[in-house]
Amino acid sequence: MPTRPLVIRYEDDLQLFPGLWHKAGAVLTLAVALGYPWLASERWLTVGNLGLVAIVGAAALMVLTGFAGQVSLGHAAFLALGAYTVAVLGNKWGWPFWLALPLAGAVSACVGVVIGAFALRLRGLYLAIVTLGLVFLTQHVLLAYPEVTNGLSGTSVPMYWWFRGDVGSAASVGDTWQLGPVVLGFERKLYFLFLPLAAGTVWLTKNVQRSNSGRAMMAVRDQDLAAEVLGVSTTQARLQAFGVSSFLAGIAGAMFAFQQQYITVEPPFDLNLSIQFIAMIVLGGVGSVFGAVSGALAFTFLSPLAESVGHALPLIQQLTSAQQATVLLSVVVVLVLVLEPMGLFGVWLRIRRYFQAWPFRY
Amino acid sequence: MALLELDNVGLSFSGVRALDGVSFSIEAGALHAVIGPNGAGKSSLFNCISGIHRHMEGRVRLDGQELTGVEPTEIARLGVSRMFQNLALFEHLTVLENLLLGRHQRYRTGLLRNLFWTRGAREEEVRHREKAEEVIDFLDLEHFRWMPVAVLPYGIRKRVELGRALCMEPKLLLLDEPTAGLNQEETEDMANTLLDLRHELGVTQVLIGHELRFVMDLATQVTVLDRGRVIANGPPSALRNDTRVLSAYVGGTVAA
Repeated sequence: MPTRPLVIRYEDDLQLFPGLWHKAGAVLTLAVALGYPWLASERWLTVGNLGLVAIVGAAALMVLTGFAGQVSLGHAAFLALGAYTVAVLGNKWGWPFWLALPLAGAVSACVGVVIGAFALRLRGLYLAIVTLGLVFLTQHVLLAYPEVTNGLSGTSVPMYWWFRGDVGSAASVGDTWQLGPVVLGFERKLYFLFLPLAAGTVWLTKNVQRSNSGRAMMAVRDQDLAAEVLGVSTTQARLQAFGVSSFLAGIAGAMFAFQQQYITVEPPFDLNLSIQFIAMIVLGGVGSVFGAVSGALAFTFLSPLAESVGHALPLIQQLTSAQQATVLLSVVVVLVLVLEPMGLFGVWLRIRRYFQAWPFRY
Repeated sequence: MALLELDNVGLSFSGVRALDGVSFSIEAGALHAVIGPNGAGKSSLFNCISGIHRHMEGRVRLDGQELTGVEPTEIARLGVSRMFQNLALFEHLTVLENLLLGRHQRYRTGLLRNLFWTRGAREEEVRHREKAEEVIDFLDLEHFRWMPVAVLPYGIRKRVELGRALCMEPKLLLLDEPTAGLNQEETEDMANTLLDLRHELGVTQVLIGHELRFVMDLATQVTVLDRGRVIANGPPSALRNDTRVLSAYVGGTVAA
């Protein structure tokens, strides 16, 4: 069976799911995604939600680091901004979540573009250091205004359907719904909210990748001098990458805050979180949207698995389960870097090549 | 009519005089060669034309329009495109993506429309694809369309780089040693391509060359640089036996 139909128009090359196999894969993925919350236990449903948050966050970092080649350690700062934006909007003014969510992205994007403008001349290690500073700066600012953020003790993150104050309509999303035999608890509702958000993020980043804007970012990543001579503005490409990335990171932070219901500054919004996101895109394969998604899912689903097998392993038995998970995940990331530098995306390419060439070896 | 005019162009790098009082003009439709020994300032001259060296002296005019002090991106928009000496392709992108980047400045859709992949963005993508395919057809790159540049052999990469420059639909094409590192067959292919470009598309080309025979056979006009100065300028037939050219190339004095 041909893997894709004959391309007779250039439009056909632009489709996301050009062939029968692609469409079948998409339908299968959708089926699994829709079935998951009904089959998974409470614990794994939470992991699934965190996985969807991680997809948005990793896709955001992929735009900045994977496409535009700007290594950033400041990802946690943008997530923190998004998380605290929805927390403050909910607590102070009782905003509904669907209105606070895009605003969280916008706040984060504004900061991202400003940082991007400062970082225009920086690259590689220098940029990493500046963005590292951003994490500490954001932590400091969030702790310095306890009247807004509630400081060290953290803040709750309410999630309303409608503006609080309208009596009766300010129901919280946390309330459990009972529709006949179907029970929609908080986590399950979150799942069905996060799923389209994650899918939308993947679609947006894929659009960046396949369009002129993304190509300009990648051109700046590979050869900035040649890009200038072609008429690609490196300033514009970098700022756009920072803008899109920090917007989506803000959304991811807001999603995380809604899921946690109560957030503090540190943890989780510290350097460790930034590094986890870098580990995700490295694990998945830098430079592809598939890499962001697979890396994010692999990372979030491996953590609880690592925690459950950790106590049986020698050498790391004495550590706490979280430390065991960190050790095991580090080993996995190092192994991936050594064995398949292109990450899970590289593995996928090999599998695909094998079946395209089948029954021949290559 | 002169398409490009160089007027007293000079360039110094902390004491090294790379270019000194270079003045000549390039006719529209010409295949103008710039030759000279290593370090004569050929590539520096190109950098001045494409606006990379901002501290140059003198003036450069394209079609009567001032290029001096103009940003590289703007110069590209005005119709000057360039093929680098050491390949400057985007290695991780496919051949097609590299070519489409040559059309970057002609895109009208911005980030927002691209993000949502609107009808306008899609139509624009197809429109530029059609143009890129014309170049692919012209340079016989059909087989390599979807391959990342990093896996291609050197000769093909040279062609991709030429293609990327052509995608800009330039008025003036700067070719910095298009045959460096190519074997005999690839060199002949490149020569044919350059002649086709001149005859079929009428693109004005400036060519930096090392190989005298290649240059002398192809060029309509030749400028010889030595240590930053123009030492000769004219049609190849007039320069073939020029003693200054020979001495610059062979060294020392040559008995005529």
